[in-house]
Amino acid sequence: MQLIDKLSVLADAAKYDVSCASSGAPKRSSKGKRGLGATNGMGICHSFTPDGRCVSLLKILLTNFCLYDCQYCVNRRSSDVPRARFTSEEVVELTLDFYRRNCISGLFLSSGIIRSADYTMEQLVRVARLLRDEHEFRGYIHLKTIPDADPLLIAEAGRYADRLSVNIELPTETSLIRLAPEKQVLTIKQAMHTIHQGEAEASTEKRAPRFAPAGQSTQMIVGADDTDDRTILHTAQSLYGDYRLRRVYYSAFSPIPHSPKTVPFAAPPLLREHRLYQADFLMRGYGFSAGELLSGPGNLALDVDPKLAWALANREHFPIDLNRAEPTMIARVPGIGVLSAKRLVDLRRHKRIRFEDLTRLRCSLEKAKPFIVTQDYRPSLAGQESAALRQHLSDGTPTQMALW
Amino acid sequence: MRTVHFDGSFQGWRDAARALLQERIAPHELNWASGGDAGLFDEPMSASAATDGPRIRIPRQLLEELEMAARFRTDQRWSLLYRVLWRVAQGDASARMAGDVDGSELHSRIKVVRREAHHLHAFLRFSPLESGDGPRHVAWFEPAHDVLPWAAGHFAERMGENSWLIATPEEGVCWDGQELYYTRPCPPQWQQLAQNAADPGGELWKTYYESTFNPARLNRSVMESNLPVRFWKNLPEGMLIPELMSRARAGAQRDGQAERVAGRHGKRIGRQPG
Repeated sequence: MQLIDKLSVLADAAKYDVSCASSGAPKRSSKGKRGLGATNGMGICHSFTPDGRCVSLLKILLTNFCLYDCQYCVNRRSSDVPRARFTSEEVVELTLDFYRRNCISGLFLSSGIIRSADYTMEQLVRVARLLRDEHEFRGYIHLKTIPDADPLLIAEAGRYADRLSVNIELPTETSLIRLAPEKQVLTIKQAMHTIHQGEAEASTEKRAPRFAPAGQSTQMIVGADDTDDRTILHTAQSLYGDYRLRRVYYSAFSPIPHSPKTVPFAAPPLLREHRLYQADFLMRGYGFSAGELLSGPGNLALDVDPKLAWALANREHFPIDLNRAEPTMIARVPGIGVLSAKRLVDLRRHKRIRFEDLTRLRCSLEKAKPFIVTQDYRPSLAGQESAALRQHLSDGTPTQMALW
Repeated sequence: MRTVHFDGSFQGWRDAARALLQERIAPHELNWASGGDAGLFDEPMSASAATDGPRIRIPRQLLEELEMAARFRTDQRWSLLYRVLWRVAQGDASARMAGDVDGSELHSRIKVVRREAHHLHAFLRFSPLESGDGPRHVAWFEPAHDVLPWAAGHFAERMGENSWLIATPEEGVCWDGQELYYTRPCPPQWQQLAQNAADPGGELWKTYYESTFNPARLNRSVMESNLPVRFWKNLPEGMLIPELMSRARAGAQRDGQAERVAGRHGKRIGRQPG
C-alpha cells in the first residue's frame, strides 16, 4: 500500500480520539541548533476541519489492526474496515515533513493492539525515540499509553513524550465490561497511577529526567451507553483529583460504519458534549464541584449553560455587588468570566464600578444583568422570577443548536 | 492644531511623543502624520525640547502595551496612543485599563494584534524549494496588521538551521539558518518565489486533512469563526473545505468515515488464541 493510502486509512482510524492539545510543554527552541521544532507552552491550531475541530498535531494510528473488540470503536477486530500499518520511519518522515511545512506542532500517536500490550507500546515508544534522538525533534509529542503495558515502558514513553494519555473510555465499569470486554478499569487506573507517579518524581527531584511535562489526559465517550452527565462529571472530578489529569476529553459517540447492535445508531446531540465541556471548564477554572453543577441524577440542561443554570438554582447568592464581592464570586456571575472578574477587581481599586464599565469589558450583559449590582444599577424585581429568566436567557431550542 | 511628522515607526512616534509630553502639548492639539513631507504651515518640532524638558516616567509595561497596539492598522493608530500616554503621564492610571474608554480601545487593539500574530504562526504554510541556493522553504502570507517583524522570530525557533523566507504584500523576512533579515517593502523577487512555489509533496497533507475530518459532525459556523475565510485562499487545504462541506451535507453525515476510506475493502480480524 502507498504511503498516501496508509495515511488516509490511519488518520481516519485515529480521528475519533478528540484530544488535540499541543499546550503545556516546556519552552524548547531549535534556534541555532541542529534538529527541528520548538514548543513554548501555548498550543497552536494550524488548521480547522469543517467539523470545527482544531488540527494541531498529526493524529494517526501506527496501525489499525487490533485484537480488541471494543463495540464503540471503528477499529474493533470485528469491524469491516480497511487495515494498514505504518513503519516507524514512515511516521517519522510524515511528522518531520508536515512540521517543516508548518502544518502541525507535533505528533499524536496511538495504535490498535497488536500481538501484545507490551509489543504495541514498544512500537509507539520507538517512534518517539527516533524523533527525539535521531532527528533531534523538539516539537510536541503525545503518546497514547496502552493500559496493560509494562510500567517500565510507560516510564520510557514519559521521557520522550510531552503528554501521555490513557483512555478511561466509558464513565462506568459496568459499561466498560459490556462494551470493551478486553479492557479493565483496574489496569487503566494503574497506568494513570504510573504516569502520575512519574510526573511527581520528576517534579520533586531537581535532576530527575523530565517526564511527560505536559501531563496526562484521558477521553470518555459520551452517548455510547446510558450513563448520565452527573455520573460523568463525578468520574471526571475524581480523575482530576486522583491522578492530577490536565484534561478529560468528552467525545460524543460518533456513529461508525457497520455499527454493532450494542451501541446506539444515532449520536447524542453535540450540544450535550458542549455542555459537558462547559461544566468541566467550570470545575477546572472556576472552583465549581460536580455536585454543585448537577445536584441530582440526570443530564446538564441543554437550554442554558451550566453556569447560568447554577445561578438560577442559587438565587439566594444574588444579586452581588461588584464593588464589594470576592473575585471568585464575581467569576460565578453568568456572563462574567475569570478574566473580566480580575479586570473588575483591578478597576475598582481606581474607581467605583458602573454599569457601562461592563460594556467595555465585553461581558455578556443580558446574562449578567439580573445577578449584579453596580454603583448606578440594581436589577428590578419585576420579571425576575427564575423560570421567566430562564426562558428569556436560554440559548434557543436544543434541536437548532445540535446542528444535525 | 499641530501636525506631527515622523517616519511611521514606533520608535519615531515614541521620540516625537516624548518631546511633545515635555512641551505639555495636549492630545486634542495634535494631528499625527506618519511618512510624507512636512506640510507648508506646520510648525517644526524644536529639537531642544527633547533634552531640556522634565524627565517623564512611564511604566515599562505601558510602553510595551503601546508598542503592541501600534501594530494595529488604522488611520487613527497614533492619536489613541498619545491620548493614553498623555493621561497616564498626567497621573490618570485608569487610561490604560480595560474598563476605561481609551483603555478598552487600547486593549482591544492589542488583542487583535496578538490574534493576528497567532494567525501568522498557525496558518502560514511553507513550501519546500528543492533547487537554487536561496532559502529551502518559502511562504506567502497576507497579515491584516503589522505583525510580521515581531512575530517572525517564532519560525527561527521552530526551524532551527533550516532556511526560510516569508513574503507579504508589504514586508519580507528571511532566515538563513543563523540570522534574520527584515525588509520593507518586500522585494518582488521574494514575492514571486513565495507565490509560485510548485509543491508536488503537498498531496499528503491534503489527504490527511480530508481523512481527519469527521463528516458526521459538520459545523460550519465554529469552523469559520476559528479559521476565517480570508485565510482559505493561501492554505493548501483551503480549496478542499467547500467540497468537503457540500459532500458532508449531501449525505455523508450518517457516519464519520472518510469517503476515500469507505471505498476500500475492509478486513475483519480473526480472534487469535491466547
